[in-house]
Amino acid sequence: MANRRLLVKRRKAVRNIRKITRTMQLIATARYQAAFSRAMATKPYTEKIAELVADLSSAATDVEHPLMKTNDAKRSAVLVLSSMRGLCGGYNGNVLRVATSHIDALAADGIESDVTVVGKKGIGYFSFLGRDIQQGITDIDEAPKFEQIEPIANAMIDRFIKGEVSSVCVVYMKFISAGKQKPHIMQLLPLSTEKDEAATDEAVGGAAGNSDYEFSPDPESLLQELLPATVRVRMFQCFTDATVSEHIARMVAMKAATDAAGDMITALTRKYNRARQTHITMELLDIVGGANALG
Amino acid sequence: MANAATFQCSIITPEAAVLECDATFVAFPAHDGEMGIMTGRAPLVCKLGIGQLRVETDSEKHLMFIDGGFVQISGSNLSILTEQAKDAAQIDAEAASTALVEARAMPNITDDDHTAKSKAVQRAQIQIKLAKSR
Repeated sequence: MANRRLLVKRRKAVRNIRKITRTMQLIATARYQAAFSRAMATKPYTEKIAELVADLSSAATDVEHPLMKTNDAKRSAVLVLSSMRGLCGGYNGNVLRVATSHIDALAADGIESDVTVVGKKGIGYFSFLGRDIQQGITDIDEAPKFEQIEPIANAMIDRFIKGEVSSVCVVYMKFISAGKQKPHIMQLLPLSTEKDEAATDEAVGGAAGNSDYEFSPDPESLLQELLPATVRVRMFQCFTDATVSEHIARMVAMKAATDAAGDMITALTRKYNRARQTHITMELLDIVGGANALG
Repeated sequence: MANAATFQCSIITPEAAVLECDATFVAFPAHDGEMGIMTGRAPLVCKLGIGQLRVETDSEKHLMFIDGGFVQISGSNLSILTEQAKDAAQIDAEAASTALVEARAMPNITDDDHTAKSKAVQRAQIQIKLAKSR
């Protein structure tokens, strides 16, 4: 019967889909682990830089650095990190929603945003909404290299120092733990003197008794060099964080898809069996009815 | 620590910790010239220039190219933070030569241009030298 054959066909199709989603889940798991170890590898550098900044700021008080000053330009630079590929659940949607509402909030204060979007998905979203983006970056793949991020960071630092923009922030999916990521807006510039990272607090605590360094050149000029480096590495960390979150999101989405396909197969099998049974019963009834008529 | 005359040396880039070892001697390019460090150095924070980094341990020697950054010495720990650290064996001599040609062709009008150009030239020259010396 047509109905039964249709059910068999559909079940086959769902099985194939399940195979694909399961493979994608496995791939995402492998990539997540690689991305996670890459993200972890950036930690020593960040911690050391934070430690140095703490050491130096205790040695050189009242440092005025252009990166710390606020200016009143009516523009702001926003960097949005989205993914290059889809099929990762709510990952892009969440980041982009936060990004657009942030841009709208800035616009409400009379500040225009220069938006730089990384990743095809984000670029597509912005063009769908008809919003202007200043720059779209699609050549950063899933293993971001520091040398790829550096020019972006330097360009932003330049614009900030020239006073073209009053702030620089990054919107990305922050990786909190393997089970939790959330879209986050990180203000990169002006550098806040209160550091938000826990690593810095530890470094400040640890370095308190250790300010008898010999500095070459003097602490002030060292700090001048160190602050841009801090900005660059923070931006780099956003990229690595975003990559890790993306793989987790894809892993979760594909796990859900695989499970849903499994459920669907069970349901279809049940339906098919019932249809088969009904069919047999009908045939039996036909035969019995025919026999009775003859007898 | 096996040997009293060694100290912990770590070379860290934003991407990874490139090298962690117990060194007996480290020479690095400071911003104002090369500096050599042995164990027991007083605490120091110093800016780095572009150049070659030598790390000597009991058994081996490492030669690397580093591009700016900072060095911190505290107690028996030496940390080199640099945005780029390349093992001498990994340097591509041809790429470095092309980089040198490109660097020489860079504009040289403003002060910023001049700094960028001389840095690029220096970077390429040192890489070529390191590639040849291995």
